[in-house]
Amino acid sequence: MTTTTAAEQLLRLHRTGRLASDYPLVRDLLADVPPESRDLLRRAGAWLSRLNPDEVLRAHPDTSALTVAITGHGTLAALIAPLTVEFARHGLLLRPVLSDFDSYVVDLSDSDSDLYSARPEIVLCLLDPALIFDEVPTPWRPEDVRAVFEAKVALVAGLAARFAERGAGTLVLNTIPLPRTRTAALVDHRSRAELGAAWREANARLLRLTAAHRNVVVVDTDSLLADGIPAGDARLSVYAKAHLSTELLAGYAREIGHLARNLTGRAKKVLAVDLDGTVWGGVLGDDGPEGIEVADGYRGEAFRAFQRTVRQLAAQGVLVAAVSKNDIEPVRTVLREHPGMTLREDDFVRVVANWRPKHENLVELAEDLNVGVDSVVFADDSPYERGLVRRELPAVAVITLDDEPAWHVDRLLADGWFDTVELTAEDRDRPTKYRDELVRKDFLNSFDSIQDYLSELGVAVRVFAAGEQDVNRVAQLSLRTNQFNLTTRRLQPADVQALIRDPDALVLALRTADRFGDNGLVGAILAHREADVLHIDNFLLSCRVFARGVEQTALSVLLRHARDTGAGSVVGAYRSSAKNSKVREFYPRNGFSTVTDDGAEAVFRHDLVDIAAPPEHVTLTEELG
Amino acid sequence: MTRDEFTALIHDEIGLAVATDELDRELDQVTGWDSVHLLTLLTALEQATGRSISLPDVLSAPSLGRIYAVVAGGA
Repeated sequence: MTTTTAAEQLLRLHRTGRLASDYPLVRDLLADVPPESRDLLRRAGAWLSRLNPDEVLRAHPDTSALTVAITGHGTLAALIAPLTVEFARHGLLLRPVLSDFDSYVVDLSDSDSDLYSARPEIVLCLLDPALIFDEVPTPWRPEDVRAVFEAKVALVAGLAARFAERGAGTLVLNTIPLPRTRTAALVDHRSRAELGAAWREANARLLRLTAAHRNVVVVDTDSLLADGIPAGDARLSVYAKAHLSTELLAGYAREIGHLARNLTGRAKKVLAVDLDGTVWGGVLGDDGPEGIEVADGYRGEAFRAFQRTVRQLAAQGVLVAAVSKNDIEPVRTVLREHPGMTLREDDFVRVVANWRPKHENLVELAEDLNVGVDSVVFADDSPYERGLVRRELPAVAVITLDDEPAWHVDRLLADGWFDTVELTAEDRDRPTKYRDELVRKDFLNSFDSIQDYLSELGVAVRVFAAGEQDVNRVAQLSLRTNQFNLTTRRLQPADVQALIRDPDALVLALRTADRFGDNGLVGAILAHREADVLHIDNFLLSCRVFARGVEQTALSVLLRHARDTGAGSVVGAYRSSAKNSKVREFYPRNGFSTVTDDGAEAVFRHDLVDIAAPPEHVTLTEELG
Repeated sequence: MTRDEFTALIHDEIGLAVATDELDRELDQVTGWDSVHLLTLLTALEQATGRSISLPDVLSAPSLGRIYAVVAGGA
């Protein structure tokens, strides 16, 4: 599908009034619009923002809708269209709640404000240069600006603290661009430097608010502007009181789209890269290991820069795989022995080199890694391969590379597919853990029965009451885990923190290890007490470790703990999602009886009379405090 | 540019469906109209007509019909 036809099809849907009824198709069409087609995205945003979200939901009830409150200083309506189109790119639906002009202080400080009443999942508080310069006298000196900006930072810090205390949703702030028209209004370089320093110091304080509050994010507009887009538009600013440019709002909206993706548990996990023309220049099969461009020469440098970027992503938990049309042996030789390679075999969780269609390889890769194919991002310089993957696997995000390798890094990072609010230690170790997991699979294949395998595997499970240091990881499990997630209730770190501090709530964490090493914190059970009943609100287990007796062990510990602390029964719920059908029978298979089951949601009860012991092959440690 | 072309342009650029006979309504009576659209509309009109249009003139127009008159009048 080319850009022209995607654009034409979108325009046709708009003109014939079918954008709501064909909303999933809109997502697929938008996937074909390259990021540089700003004008098409802008217009599509205008069209989509006219739709009634309820109409889309009536046609497609499974669409995830997020309520986003937009507040700030200037006119904010111009943000709705770009935000709507960025959400649509991810198949999400925006429910915007727009605040009145300049009402952010009341919005965020009054707990009965319209903003809080709307119970937004995300609150955007858009800060712009007029917030400062509206209060700077004329004529002014740099110290006037410093004083106003510092006072505003203090105000915003207070509002952020107020928001963080409430614990619900995520607040997004931003650094404020310094317009050239302000710097240039000072004639001496010394004053300009002073203004620049004061401005950046204030922005730095805004950025540091993220360290103080778990549910506050600050978008750094400098990095968006560094791509060469205008910060403001004089006419929009003067006549419409909209102080940030359309282009800047579009870049900002793109970041918010990825944030929304992350908050709704849709973050991408796997980067699958082609090799010839993507990771190195030339064709390995034709040019041989000595002939490919890896590090030397002009193009070699470009590929090296790309390899370094991929390695940088892998170091932060992105599972990198190679999917290439090549014979496997020469590929392995290059990855092991080529002196110029930055990426080595160990940087990949899987190296797939064969002659099968790439979409089949991607499906298999996702199965091997036990992730959904929709968590895969695929980068390739061949339009044929990209087109095939896009058509066969529309859920895969496809990155367009071409025969100019210098652009590869920009293209790879143009969309924040792997953006997350906070990295945990588990993230950094993830690629190693998945690689170990594939070794475990090979080990499994050498056994006659699964029981022999489990006995040899030496599974150790530690079940313990989660503490403050586990908050981020437990929240992350709730956000990233889709398959073994009994109720798919997503929790932000602040939610988990609140549960840990709640005396009626129980947050159990699971760590596992085996002969191949430590798996880290891989599961959690969230429960609360009501009278003599312990309710399991959710049970989470990383897909890397299930079906090894870990879940039965943890459940056994919980049931015994419930009985020993005076509970009469334990109630567990299952809520059906697109991906958790394999755990539908988890409770009934483990001694619970069915209380209610309407297909979408089921409730089960265990009477605590007959509690199954943990499987024999598991070594258990309990620290329930 | 005809009045029909003008309303088609409004629909394609800012997503707002207005009937040709609604053009003379006061702007605040036009459902879905917001002043932030003015600049987008102006940019699109400048592209369509190939000449510069005065934003203050457009801003002081009370209706879409008068905006059309500003554009058509300068042609």
